[in-house]
Amino acid sequence: MNKTIIITLVIGMMTMFSATAQNTMDQFQVQVDGLGCPFCAYGLEKKFNELKGIKQVKIDIETGDFRFAYPADKALSMEAVLSQVEKAGYTPITAKITRANGKVETSGGAKTSVDGNQLTQQSVMVAGNCGMCEARINKAASSVNGVNSAAWDKDSKMLTVSFDASVTSLLEIEKAVSKSGHDTKNTKANAGTYNDLPGCCKYERL
Amino acid sequence: MKKLVLIFLTALLVFSCKQQEETPKEWVLKEVIEPAGVNPIGIAFLENAMWLSDGDHNRLVQIDDAGTIVQAIDSLERPMHIDVKDGALYVPEYGTDQIRIIKNGEKSFLPISDSLDAPAGIAIYKNEMAIADFYNNRILYSKDGTSWMSFGKEGQAEGEFYYPTDVHITTDKIWVADAYNNRIQVFDKAGAFLQEIGKDQKMNAATGIFVSNDEVFITDFENDRILIFDWEGNLKQELSDGIEKPTDITVHNEILYTINYRNGKIQTYKMQ
Repeated sequence: MNKTIIITLVIGMMTMFSATAQNTMDQFQVQVDGLGCPFCAYGLEKKFNELKGIKQVKIDIETGDFRFAYPADKALSMEAVLSQVEKAGYTPITAKITRANGKVETSGGAKTSVDGNQLTQQSVMVAGNCGMCEARINKAASSVNGVNSAAWDKDSKMLTVSFDASVTSLLEIEKAVSKSGHDTKNTKANAGTYNDLPGCCKYERL
Repeated sequence: MKKLVLIFLTALLVFSCKQQEETPKEWVLKEVIEPAGVNPIGIAFLENAMWLSDGDHNRLVQIDDAGTIVQAIDSLERPMHIDVKDGALYVPEYGTDQIRIIKNGEKSFLPISDSLDAPAGIAIYKNEMAIADFYNNRILYSKDGTSWMSFGKEGQAEGEFYYPTDVHITTDKIWVADAYNNRIQVFDKAGAFLQEIGKDQKMNAATGIFVSNDEVFITDFENDRILIFDWEGNLKQELSDGIEKPTDITVHNEILYTINYRNGKIQTYKMQ
């Protein structure tokens, strides 16, 4: 009987402690694209591990699901998290923060609607190497207002975009892609942005 | 006339024998082993037992010839390209910046006064050791496993690295998988640059290296292939069937083993 009481008390205390600890931590979940290379993906995890106070870092390379907890009193912002991911050379697709007080913040996913009847489809050569390049190129092209879809093929190096020609042009899309670090047939990435790309993304300049 | 025919036949015989002798041998697929739930980064044999570092799952696994996991060593922090010595497994841990030594179930760390930043590979040859220090873009080398020297820095020139991921030691050379410079670099034991291999092959992430008595094997990660060179750097063979994001290779008992990070499969090849 005594044993049962002690065990119950210990479990109760552990549960309370755990709940208290969770209440002091913000929970972060970032969907990162292009995590195919373990050397780089583990690097992303390692860079985040360097943040003082970070806990429960989990990364799923297959799904690109990256999660961690961070002390609530440090109020780590959405912008700071996305910036840290991008600094490590990755492309955050969506992010969600569940604050310790229950408040939820989200980012990404929103996109201007495009008139399906006005769509033009065109392809252009874009330099890149890997899955991380693919994610970055597609995201940069898709972010241009008027673009409906963007798909870059790693083997052919061709980016195929469908867009509303009354809103944007292929050249505008190329400019956005080169801003992200990738040379296109008609536009060049600046040297600084190119140099900041992760090792596996260092393509041969066009 | 008879003499002429005889001479001709003899010459033909000698020529055909010589041709037979000169037929180059190649690595031919023997079998595919499919361990379940493993994403291997490194492979090594410890007393004929096959060990894989399973980076995604923070563990080492020993598997049998059928791919069944015989035993696992958990609670490691992203184990990378492993090696063995005196009955012990040497495990570079990307996450802890340490080299873990595991012998008879006991874990310890290799004492190194210099600080590593994401060690990605270790090579052992007799008493010598070398470590690929990924984020520091350098190789650490020790003649006796206790005192260390280092060479290399970030860059693309000869003797410079861009994220080295694996290393191999032979009698008088150190071979480096200079991953994101997409090449192999060869050095003497003082760290002096000797040779570059594979730059003309348009590799994309040269992640794992193994060197036999006469061949150099490299994994071309993003291009899903293994390239095999002679020691002079001439390409001898390319393996690509079934290869998907290869990370390491080794030769054990005259069998070539290749491991694939993406699909977890292990291909074995025999020289024929």
